[in-house]
Amino acid sequence: MSSAASTPAFRIERSTRTSWIGLVLAIAIVVLLVSVPWWGGEDDLRLIVEICYTIALAQLWNLLAGYAGLVSVGQQAFVGLGGYALFGLTILAGVPPLPAIVLAGVIAALIAVPTALIVFRLRGAYFAIGTWVIAEVYSEVMGLIRDLGAGTGMSLPVAISRHVGETRFDREASLYYVGLVIGIGTVAVVFAWLRSRQGLALTAIRDSETAAGSVGINNDRTKYAVYLLAALVTGMIGALIYLEKLRISPDSAFDVIDWTADIIFIVVIGGIGSIEGPFLGALVFFALRYFLADYGAWYMILLGAVAVVIMLLAPRGLWGLVADRFDIHFFPVRRRVRLE
Amino acid sequence: MAPLLSLEHVSKNFGALKVIDDLSLSLDAGEALGILGPNGAGKTTLFNLIAGDLPVGAGAIRFAGEDVTGLPAYIRCRRGIGRTYQIPHPFGNMSVFENVLAGAAFGATRREAESYERCIDLLRLTNLLGKANLPAGKLTLLERKRLELARALATDPKMLLLDEIAGGLTDTECQLLIETIRAVHRSGVSIVWIEHVVHALIAVVGRLFVINFGQKLADGEPRAVMESPQVQEVYMGIEER
Ligand SMILES: Nc1ncnc2c1ncn2[C@@H]1O[C@H](COP(=O)(O)OP(=O)(O)OP(=O)(O)O)[C@@H](O)[C@H]1O
Ligand SMILES: [Mg+2]
Repeated sequence: MSSAASTPAFRIERSTRTSWIGLVLAIAIVVLLVSVPWWGGEDDLRLIVEICYTIALAQLWNLLAGYAGLVSVGQQAFVGLGGYALFGLTILAGVPPLPAIVLAGVIAALIAVPTALIVFRLRGAYFAIGTWVIAEVYSEVMGLIRDLGAGTGMSLPVAISRHVGETRFDREASLYYVGLVIGIGTVAVVFAWLRSRQGLALTAIRDSETAAGSVGINNDRTKYAVYLLAALVTGMIGALIYLEKLRISPDSAFDVIDWTADIIFIVVIGGIGSIEGPFLGALVFFALRYFLADYGAWYMILLGAVAVVIMLLAPRGLWGLVADRFDIHFFPVRRRVRLE
Repeated sequence: MAPLLSLEHVSKNFGALKVIDDLSLSLDAGEALGILGPNGAGKTTLFNLIAGDLPVGAGAIRFAGEDVTGLPAYIRCRRGIGRTYQIPHPFGNMSVFENVLAGAAFGATRREAESYERCIDLLRLTNLLGKANLPAGKLTLLERKRLELARALATDPKMLLLDEIAGGLTDTECQLLIETIRAVHRSGVSIVWIEHVVHALIAVVGRLFVINFGQKLADGEPRAVMESPQVQEVYMGIEER
């Protein structure tokens, strides 16, 4: 039998030509982004921060839904908890705001542990509904905390936001760098995760849960890890958002449209199950908003219509069309065999 | 010595349908067992119970000296139960190589880089090396079946469950498959093989187990089993292909 013969010479390649172009591009973009506070205005900084955390949220949701099969419509739970944790930590516990962002993420992840125990019992549509209901519960609970403004919410005392920077522009610039680190960091972590052994498990689960179990993959633990990672980073993002907004209320912090529906839109139109997709989706999302924001309700209707059309014509999103036609991967997670 | 695998009075119902009915079965380490039975007899269900894809309704399953009845599929795989699916379940968007790698990296719990060579060997053994970089979803049915085999072997099983992998092959292909499975068996892996292609089965296994309506119909030396009256009765018209 051939198994007795020696193995042919081979190499395993983990990068592609486009991934090197992508790397150069990415470095150029990062350098450009780092320099923005020297030449950009406050509005530019705010917009870029928003794009950063939106892309981060989209990457996380994609990891959950596109890979782990966890179609959560309750990620606003962790944005809200992160935001409230920031307010609680800074106002009630006197923690400086920037460390509080990290702690808020940890708190969100800790709350995600029992949350997962509940929602992981549910499958498919019940899981989606379950996550939403839990987010509503957390929203109600936050609305009961009198020291954090109860149902009407509260503002962050000026003394606390001073910690971030003396002048208004200093504050914006500091938060800008926090946003940049979270955005780039999230993409880097998701990319590293998908390239690793964990990523192999996750892609296998995405393609067939049954077969994944049969080759020794612990589906539950793999999904659990993704859920906690998403909660950790989403909590930090929530903290950042409300440190920038300076005002929090249960209705805004746990808003399903802003923190989950828009994100789902981005991932679905950009292309679920790839890292590139959420970038493309975010591009489309911000472009549509830029051109149509003045049209109010029409904007929402158009957003929905675009999503439906793309779902029907390109189930794997815009990136799916691009990847099929040109076979390019800016974030190569594959292993290619080269026989020598 | 205790058997490698034993099923003790195992039953499984789907609603009112009794699919496995108080079935007992044992397999010694190093054996190759063939499983035969008409369509719908419960053969695939039996594999699902052994591999842990379905919970048993009643009874117990022991493997390698351990009661595995309540263990999830992924742990049974790590204990040494490898399986192929009758209807292939490839990881469709992963490459053929990565499909096999998943088995090696998790089922055999090796480090990823140490698995590469083993995966290449298995792809060559199953004649898939030329398609290593293709998405598994693009394979033909026959190739998918070979991928099932390669992926299951990558988990380093003590016992390999094969569910109808010879159907639709030409004579030459079938002969190659027989050689491959013999080689796997010789390397020390116990085999349980469900197959309608009786001549292929008999070329490999030393024992036949026949199931009908979820019950044991016969168990023993292949020729004797095939010639027994109760098997002849069920198998009228199912001649060797
Ligand atoms: N998940 C399920 N739910 C309900 N009924 C099922 C399920 N799986 C199998 N069955 C039924 O159980 C019976 C046995 O099925 P099984 O697949 O085990 O048969 P088999 O012996 O493998 O047949 P074949 O030779 O056609 O592969 C069939 O009647 C089938 O319809
Ligand atoms: Mg079957």
